[in-house]
Amino acid sequence: MFDSMKEKLATIVGADNVKDDAGILESYAKDQSFATGIRPWFVVKPQNAQQVQDLVKWANETSTPLVPVSSGGPHHKGDTIPSVPQSVIVDLSGMNRILNINRQQRMTVVEPGVTYGELQEALAKEGMTLSMPLAPRATKSVMTSVLEVEPRLNANHQWQYHDPLRCMEVVWGDGNSMFTGEAAGGVKDLEKQWDAQKWQVSGNGPNMFDFLRIPTQAQGTMGIVTWASLKCEVLPTIHNMHFVPAKKLENLIDFVYRVIRLRFSDELMVMNGSYLAELLGESAEQIQQLKAELPQWVALVGVLGRELLPEDRVEQQTSDIEEIAQQHGLKMVPALPKIKGDKVLAKALNPSKELYWKETAKGAYQDIFFVTTLDKTPMFLKAMYELAEDEGYNTSDIGVYIQPQHCGSSYHLEFHLPYDPNNALETAKVKRMFEKGSELMSGLGAFYARPYGMWAKLQLNKDAQSYNALKKLKKIFDPNDVMNTGKLTV
Amino acid sequence: MSLQDYRPMMERCSMCLNCRWIPFDKIKSQRYGQNCPSIGYYNFNTNTARGRFQMAQSMLDGRTTYTDDVIETIHSCTACGACDMACKVCRYNLEPLDHNLELKAHAVADGKTLPGQLPVIENLVKENTMLVGAKKANRMDWAEGLDMIDLFKETADVAFFAGCQYSYNKDLQKVARNAVKVLQKAGVKVGTLGGADNCCAGRALQMGFTKEYNDQSSANIKAFEKAGVKTIVTPCSDCYHAFKRQYPKSGSTVEVLHMVEYLDRLIADGKIKFTKSVPMSVTYHDPCHLGRLGESFTPWEGKEKKILNQVHTWEPRRPRYTGANGIYDAPRNILASIPGVELVEMERIREYSWCCGAGGGCSDTLPEFSSWTAGERLTEANATGADALVSACPWCKNNFANAVDENGNKMQVLDIIELVQMAL
Amino acid sequence: MALAREIYQALEDIVGKKNISEDIGVCESYRSIASQTSAHYGPFDHWTPLPQAVILPGSTEEVQNVVRICNKYKIQFKAGSTFYATMAYIGSDYAVQLDMRRMSKIEIDAKNQCAIIEPYAIAAVVQAEAMKVGLNLNIPGVGCSSSTLASTSGWAGFGPTSIFMGASGENLLSAEWVLPDGEVIKTGSAGAGAGWFCGEGPGPSFRSVFRGVTGVAGSMGVCTKIAVRLHPWPGPTFLPSDGVLPAYKAVLPDNFKCYTLCFPDWEGWTTAAAIIHENDVLYLGHRQYNMFGRNLKGAMIRILTDPEKQLCDLPELLEDPELQKQNESMKLEFQVVIAGMTKKDMEYKEKAIDEILKLSRGWKNEMMLEKDVHDWALLYLLRLGHKNLNYVLCGAYEGNFGMSSNLYVTTPLMEEASALKRKWEVEATAIAATGGDSEMGSISGIGGGGVTGWEYFTNFDAYDKDSIRGTKEFFDDTQRWMTEHGLGGDFSRWNTECRREDSYNYTQEEHDSFFVKMAQPHVMAYQWKVREAFNPNHLGGSYYRTLTPDKVPEGK
Repeated sequence: MFDSMKEKLATIVGADNVKDDAGILESYAKDQSFATGIRPWFVVKPQNAQQVQDLVKWANETSTPLVPVSSGGPHHKGDTIPSVPQSVIVDLSGMNRILNINRQQRMTVVEPGVTYGELQEALAKEGMTLSMPLAPRATKSVMTSVLEVEPRLNANHQWQYHDPLRCMEVVWGDGNSMFTGEAAGGVKDLEKQWDAQKWQVSGNGPNMFDFLRIPTQAQGTMGIVTWASLKCEVLPTIHNMHFVPAKKLENLIDFVYRVIRLRFSDELMVMNGSYLAELLGESAEQIQQLKAELPQWVALVGVLGRELLPEDRVEQQTSDIEEIAQQHGLKMVPALPKIKGDKVLAKALNPSKELYWKETAKGAYQDIFFVTTLDKTPMFLKAMYELAEDEGYNTSDIGVYIQPQHCGSSYHLEFHLPYDPNNALETAKVKRMFEKGSELMSGLGAFYARPYGMWAKLQLNKDAQSYNALKKLKKIFDPNDVMNTGKLTV
Repeated sequence: MSLQDYRPMMERCSMCLNCRWIPFDKIKSQRYGQNCPSIGYYNFNTNTARGRFQMAQSMLDGRTTYTDDVIETIHSCTACGACDMACKVCRYNLEPLDHNLELKAHAVADGKTLPGQLPVIENLVKENTMLVGAKKANRMDWAEGLDMIDLFKETADVAFFAGCQYSYNKDLQKVARNAVKVLQKAGVKVGTLGGADNCCAGRALQMGFTKEYNDQSSANIKAFEKAGVKTIVTPCSDCYHAFKRQYPKSGSTVEVLHMVEYLDRLIADGKIKFTKSVPMSVTYHDPCHLGRLGESFTPWEGKEKKILNQVHTWEPRRPRYTGANGIYDAPRNILASIPGVELVEMERIREYSWCCGAGGGCSDTLPEFSSWTAGERLTEANATGADALVSACPWCKNNFANAVDENGNKMQVLDIIELVQMAL
Repeated sequence: MALAREIYQALEDIVGKKNISEDIGVCESYRSIASQTSAHYGPFDHWTPLPQAVILPGSTEEVQNVVRICNKYKIQFKAGSTFYATMAYIGSDYAVQLDMRRMSKIEIDAKNQCAIIEPYAIAAVVQAEAMKVGLNLNIPGVGCSSSTLASTSGWAGFGPTSIFMGASGENLLSAEWVLPDGEVIKTGSAGAGAGWFCGEGPGPSFRSVFRGVTGVAGSMGVCTKIAVRLHPWPGPTFLPSDGVLPAYKAVLPDNFKCYTLCFPDWEGWTTAAAIIHENDVLYLGHRQYNMFGRNLKGAMIRILTDPEKQLCDLPELLEDPELQKQNESMKLEFQVVIAGMTKKDMEYKEKAIDEILKLSRGWKNEMMLEKDVHDWALLYLLRLGHKNLNYVLCGAYEGNFGMSSNLYVTTPLMEEASALKRKWEVEATAIAATGGDSEMGSISGIGGGGVTGWEYFTNFDAYDKDSIRGTKEFFDDTQRWMTEHGLGGDFSRWNTECRREDSYNYTQEEHDSFFVKMAQPHVMAYQWKVREAFNPNHLGGSYYRTLTPDKVPEGK
């Protein structure tokens, strides 16, 4: 059976793109999270959408679970490791073409394997940029990042919750392939659509059902996306980062609410000193030093100018935000002690160095993140600190990151728990912290919009109707449950 | 016009149902955004101007018959005209209020009336007043002891027309008496028809009883002519509307002034001087028939004309009654001139004022609906924090006096004449 | 056929005697005919079917119970809120009409910039309540009389402020929905009681089922509550409105300005719009008054800002040389509102507008800067309270052409489309002669720009059957033109796949025959599966477009 599977897979993707070396399989069986995985049987690397579709059809015929993976490692959320035996990893990193860049429409179309570094470089040549999540891993797939709706730094330009993601080509779990959004309204051929001046701009629909919302936040459980169109921004000609330090998180809340209310700023985020230190520090030692020097809390405020009166815009925004800071008893400054805005900007808006910055401090980490509103963040923070004290985890090690999203209607709240993976005691402590903390946050009203691992149970158990509906949707798009089987279930 | 004549309007109505709301540009809150008591109370779209167009059309087409609900719906219009002006914010060729009244008239002609209407109309025919139980013989009881000029014998500056409510309602008679006294004190020669006048019957028209209205109005017009009346002053907004807007259609040429207009003039001319302070905050309710329905009648004869292929107009220009030129400033000027009085406005005022609920005969025929309508206004009035609700119409005052707001609270209700009297 | 007594009684038990009617007069007033509203919302010249009963539920529980009864007895149902659009009305004989009027609550969360609203909260009142706390909402082009819940969850919802605020669908946060089978679901964060701030997830969003590029037009259960994202309102706590009806105007502080930006050619127009898409300058952007037609707009603005004027004044106004000059000046134009959040912000935005005009060879129209006209236009655009001006010319209008693409595709075709309409205006008399170009619509159909959503206003007389017939012929011609230019369905045909000409629902066979021809028929095949999963008794009518999956051609 094993051999016949391998043979069949080889006919689909080519023998060179089917791997079953023990080492490779092991590397896909676990990630940096506490999730437990099961070794896959094969890793296949399709090269095009047709191969992906053939794979999915084959999986349906053979009831083989498929686990799509686009980013390179290390992974941290447990979503890319098989939950069930006999799985096949569909590694999409080989599909890494930038299919189109259109300055006029500010659109790009990318395959799953394209990373931020590659895309931003190509976009910059055309005078554009793509909104960023905070300093993603160097190996992070842009497509995975947008499919999983990682929070972007520029909430004010996130009119849609899913921005900058627009249209896609999806091979659903049942083996059918289609375009989504505006692109589904025309012939299923990108070249022909471009010839007809259609640039996959509008992502919803194309009719009354919103296909955009099925593969997103789905952890690959609904299908495999083989290209996605993304809305870009004009490349800034001036771009500054400012800081609003504070002693307590509470001191920044009203300031952030006010800035986002007026639609001021481009990037806007809040983090504690520990988190910022990790973002900036090149080594564990430097991080420790920075933690001592940096303010306890800081709001990071990015302001930029593009082609239209860039200096005027930057001057106006900077001046007005400074004034808002003053009105809230705060001060906006262009630099922190020894830290210039430019440095932070470069760190925040670019992919991480090869050693992921979140792993620099101690070698490993666990994040607990969810969606909430800004006013509730101090409450969650207090509870998390209390838990840390109970568990004997050093509260000063906890990184906290708060990111407005969707024009400020909701906020990503992230607790970052670094630990030394070689220290069994510390590892166990963080595992406890993660599990207890996740439950604690859930009990306090955390909304795990992206319910990875144990969060699925926490979230879906509280909401039977949503879970029933999700199961029905899953049955429609992946009737044989071949896509990342075992995820997003209770 | 017959109901059939309104078919073009029925089919040109754009079904936007804006007739449920005060002009959107004026909305300041959700609570006080609505304008139509009928849909406000009954909740079905049928009760709007649009619903009435549609119901009438289906009647003409033979699909709808006179059920009990249809008859009640037809007569549940307070004839306040709020839908009419809301429509005219945008439309130039629809007359929703005229249609609502035509639909009532059509039903009445078909014998489809509400039980409460008949005693009122019977009394109108028999005793020339629409207040059931009131007798023609007692029409001038209110004026006993007042030294008014008999217009059949002498001329006067104005003919004072009290109207039925002020004439018969014991609680209101003193207001009329005070009105006359105020005028006389200002040096005005006040004349009376001495009971030769009938009910203005505007309310009968609002109820669809066209014939009965015509009979009464003809008699009144004859009486005015006989007595040589040049100028009528009335404290009643219903009478005002009838005389000002409806009677000219039957040939009346008498100048018509509401008491508030006349008082405003006297105050401005220095003929009325206030000597006392009335330290109270008040809010003012614009009576529908003085406000948005208080515009003068302009005679017109013409025909439809399409221009630019399909743009529907009239030739010559047809007068347009939008409510914009109703009597709004005069009562406010009076209130502003009374020492101590502070006016706090409600959200729905002037041409987009909420009805008191008495109109269209509804206080007689559909009392629960009428009382609810008044209660809505009291809620709005109480929300201003004012000490009293002031109006310039006895029908409004009467309806408010008998109602409570949504919290079960009553409110002091004053006729503006009472307030003037308090300051003299 | 009346409802069986036990069914009517059950429904009456749910909502109470006062809140249900099967009276013929009441039911007749819950029928629609699209020639009097807008054909792109339904069939053109047939009344929708007579409902068996009209029901006014007062709570989600009541809606749920009504829907359960409908499932038990296989009665189709449709919920409507404001009943402007034909899509809110039923499409079969054995159906009941839900009127959501009694559910109108509004709760504003000022801090988190959202309003939690029920179906009958219209945009005007949501805006009024939001302004009290310095917030505003995207009011779609249909105007402020529309139900915010309906336009946000149930239909398209883009409008003048979408460039700044996003279209309604983009502003939808959590929603509460009585599914077609009677189950109640709350989407996103509200599902687990965390609050109404996020409409997505957990995991893939269930919102997908009822809100694609448009909503489901009432065909998939009843939406009973939504949270909608609000946006800054740097103005007073209410919209100050002055002036004499109908020339109401807003007297707002200096941090609000309304300009009519004019251009020498479509290239300049497009340049300006593109810069606007890429920069955060506008509070609002719309080509609005061209709805009256290229030849008439100046005259109509004079009529609408002067209470003494009427439509009969049009011929004289059209001869006025000064007005002709102004009209020519704003031949190719759009309206913008800029709103300064601060003094400096206003200064920047004023300067940015000037710069945009420089780059696009444009200018500001003078007449639109006259104080009264400016203040009138400002009020009009901010509240969109004059929506039935769509009908002012003739009593009926229809949006057609429908340029839903991108700037660079649509603007070069504008003169050709306008010429086609002008030809019909001159050579036939069915439609009003307004100058060919009567294109109007949002500067962007989605937040931040990128998509146009423009329609031509075609005015005709709904009382004149020849005018209706001729208008339909004109639409046939525009559809031919649209197809020739690869622009898809004419706006007037948007819903021809949703109801038959006779206003009844399509059968599955009829739907299959349409959608099997699609380039990507899986779209409708999945919608079929979604309907089967969530609406097993098919009680919502044929607005939800479906294709039987086994009809999908091989290889598609």
